[in-house]
Amino acid sequence: MMRQRKLWITVLLLWSLAPLLWQLYTSFCTHEALLQPLAEHNQRWTLDNYRQVLTANPPFWRYLLNSVIVGIGSTSLTLLIAIPAAYSLSKVSQNVARVAKFILLGAALFPYVLLFLALLELARSFNLGNNLLALSFPYAGLSMPLAVLLLLSAFRDLPSELEEAARLEGLDLWQRLRWVLIPLIGPATASTAILVFLFSWNEYPIALTWISRADLLTLPVAIARIAGSSVYSIPYGAYAAATVLGALPLLLLVLIFQRQIVSGLTQGAIKG
Amino acid sequence: MIQLLLIPAALLIALVFGLPLVRYSWLSFHADSVLTGLVAIPNHGANWLRLLHDQRFWQDTYQTARFATVSVSLELLLAIAIALLLDQRWRGRGVVRAISLLPWALPTTVMALGWRWIFNTPYGPIEQFAELIGLQPLNILSNPNITWLATVVGDVWKTTPFAALILLAGLQTIPNDLYEAFYLEGGHPRAALFQITLPLLQPYLLLSLLFRLAQAFGIFDLIQVMTGGGPAGSTESLALYAYLNAMRFLDFGYSATVMISGFLLLVLACLLVWLIFQQASHWREAIK
Repeated sequence: MMRQRKLWITVLLLWSLAPLLWQLYTSFCTHEALLQPLAEHNQRWTLDNYRQVLTANPPFWRYLLNSVIVGIGSTSLTLLIAIPAAYSLSKVSQNVARVAKFILLGAALFPYVLLFLALLELARSFNLGNNLLALSFPYAGLSMPLAVLLLLSAFRDLPSELEEAARLEGLDLWQRLRWVLIPLIGPATASTAILVFLFSWNEYPIALTWISRADLLTLPVAIARIAGSSVYSIPYGAYAAATVLGALPLLLLVLIFQRQIVSGLTQGAIKG
Repeated sequence: MIQLLLIPAALLIALVFGLPLVRYSWLSFHADSVLTGLVAIPNHGANWLRLLHDQRFWQDTYQTARFATVSVSLELLLAIAIALLLDQRWRGRGVVRAISLLPWALPTTVMALGWRWIFNTPYGPIEQFAELIGLQPLNILSNPNITWLATVVGDVWKTTPFAALILLAGLQTIPNDLYEAFYLEGGHPRAALFQITLPLLQPYLLLSLLFRLAQAFGIFDLIQVMTGGGPAGSTESLALYAYLNAMRFLDFGYSATVMISGFLLLVLACLLVWLIFQQASHWREAIK
């Protein structure tokens, strides 16, 4: 039983990591070593691929920076709008809340890629193209259903006596939220924030259509553009270096915030 | 007064989700392309008539349905296994759970590029291995019959962790006493899986199934970067076709028509799944 479990754990780890490790290996290989991996080579390992990616114009870290800007902007905007909305939904009647939840769940399930054309038209009519912070609006809108659902269940879990006591102490709505309720839903807020950040970091079709200036591309679009630029040649060492650099920030993020991510996803499933 | 706090969120959701659906429905009855100077002119259902006779649309519908069915089924089966494994108690479980979550967290385009290298002919590891054991080149990404299976692998790899986590949450809601009582009465562990675990997991299975089905139906990033819809259009999804219509052929009216029909097909598929789940629980009741 024990041995069998160890085997399955190993399989799971291999399955999850092997494609990533292969990229890591490729990114340090010389071109010759990639073309003939089994032959003898004078020089097998190199940092050239990283040098190439980091000194390209624009340099790769620029895309990382763009994605950080978009991620922080979208996450802040989402929380700013979702927290009051979730609080408000936790106060309305059962029936209204049930309808709202149903709509939110439906929107959360929606394959949002189908929305890109209408959103692009909006960007054109309000002149929001090529603006990193403007991306926060569609991203906040797309994350809103999940964010409100998660925060709503957190507000629901707070005992109502708590807010009653704060009201009797003479705190107005804003003070109650600021000093009593929001600190108490801290864990749910953290989970929501990290999920929204991940979504904005990874989002592709909207960033693809809203941003065309090379120095403003977010990471996923930059990677896709690298991929599209040379279908028939094989600069795969540089590709691999780019995927490693693109994966690294998320690797850290997942390892640091795994508890928040897991509780966010599972809370959403249990109470959604 | 408190209800006022809902307004910004409601407006944003209406703008991002509601408005596009209304706009597409309207656009799908208009010609709006380079030929009309990008001005919308009513064309009395010509888009819909064209859709009915558009072989490429039906080919893509078939491909999307095939892709979604196969990858979602594989994902759920694997997710059940992973969730059962992670539900047991063993040392290092937290670390393994974090690592198994990595594929889900990475940008799709990043790993789509990675997969293109892994499936590369003749330099990728799979082809190298095939050559080593004396096989003919597999041409994974240039053989129209098998390329879509490579995209399934990419999708399963990326999204299984998500489904596994939802099922894991479901497993943790099942009280342990149920199993203890079952074993006391001499039940076999495998019987427990079918008589306790899976039936009680049903709402979570349905949730992850619907969620994954919707996402797989809208598959776009992975296909665009990994295969570009090729070879010979064999991996082109509905979302990619809609995208190409808008961004490459600059035919917004028809692109909107494709998207609305994709949406309607998805709603149908979800209803079907839901009905099957309903039926399944009826049957189980009947057997008891």
